Amino acid sequence: MITFDKNQRKTALSLFVVALLAAALLAFVDQITREPIANAQREALHKNLVQVLPKHKNDPLKEMFEFPLSKQQTVEIFPAKDKHGNVLAYAWEQIAPDGYSGTIRILMGVRISGEVVAIRITDHRETPGLGDGITHNMTWLNHFINQSLDKTKWAVKKDGGDFDQFTGATITPRAVVKAVAKGLVFYQENKNTLLEKSKSQVLLEK
Amino acid sequence: MITGTENESDKQTIFVEGFWYNNAIFAQLLGMCPLLGVTTSAENGFWMGLATLLVLLGSNLIVSLVRDYIPSTVRIPAYIVIIASLVTVVDLVMNAWMHEMYLILGLFIPLIVVNCAILGRAEAFASKNNVSDSLMDALGMGLGFTFALLLLGSVREILGQGQLFGFEIFGANYPDVLMFILPPGAFIALGFILAGVNLVNIRLKRKKEAMFLQKEAVASHS
Repeated sequence: MITFDKNQRKTALSLFVVALLAAALLAFVDQITREPIANAQREALHKNLVQVLPKHKNDPLKEMFEFPLSKQQTVEIFPAKDKHGNVLAYAWEQIAPDGYSGTIRILMGVRISGEVVAIRITDHRETPGLGDGITHNMTWLNHFINQSLDKTKWAVKKDGGDFDQFTGATITPRAVVKAVAKGLVFYQENKNTLLEKSKSQVLLEK
Repeated sequence: MITGTENESDKQTIFVEGFWYNNAIFAQLLGMCPLLGVTTSAENGFWMGLATLLVLLGSNLIVSLVRDYIPSTVRIPAYIVIIASLVTVVDLVMNAWMHEMYLILGLFIPLIVVNCAILGRAEAFASKNNVSDSLMDALGMGLGFTFALLLLGSVREILGQGQLFGFEIFGANYPDVLMFILPPGAFIALGFILAGVNLVNIRLKRKKEAMFLQKEAVASHS
């Protein structure tokens, strides 16, 4: 049997109290920040959605639906509709798994004709000052506007494509270009199912 | 509340020590991890410095308050729990109410935990001093750290991208100097800044010595 003297008990107890107080503080702060964090994230998503979708009369956030990619995975699709309820474009988050340091999440909007409306980066871990140009280099981001599968070479210039790379950062833009092209292929393959889904939704609402 | 001229000058000494003579970056060369990571621009450096200042104020305050109750054998794990909790609080609060900044600094906030300058102050100062002195130490150290990050961020942003706080300085045709955006540029810029700091310190010391000699001369004369 192991016994503890008074000193040892005091030591263990004080560490226990410190940990308990820390846990209580964290639980409290988590509680009060949970809603503001969710709001901030929704607001950020809304801000990006407005930029990657054409002018619309509906609330794409409210009309979001999940689309199955595989048995386990789904993707959230945000539709933009005109005042008659016709779909103008879809937006969703495309994931580039091969960034310079981890995955890059790209919010892309695609017109039903299959042209890119615009793209925005929603999450990334790229080098500040180098690869993170994908988030704020508007000249580069605007290059994606109106590009489509059949008229665009989906690669960086270094690889013989249409898109600029950055000084000192090729991997990041390459990953984004590749992912957006993959997103367009996804759209082409599932266009009919997507439109069908939106139509049935409209009927349901009526 | 303790007041009086002697204590006020003590506070001043603590602040100046923390900000300049014992600066976490310039003198102790602590906290290199966030230093090299975030100082690619002046803005990033500034906000990272402020976040660190917040954590430092909190950790020095709490450690100084509990210093008499924590047995010295477990003080280090206790301090680490305190600091890690504070960093998580800053992380959550920034995520909730400063979301845009969080998107830029989010990756570096957890690095504050491993910033040894903070544990260093808890161990070397706050665990041995009263609350008001500890807060003053945190203020001096934290502002000194912010100043160092801001300075290095500015140098790297100017040399690397020809900008300061996002504004073009040398015009749009400035050829970006890649090296200053990458970690080697941080080391080189830091080296030159340290040389500059040493130069200033030598000047200050000479001035002090000259003043001291003058005083002695006056004293011996009378």
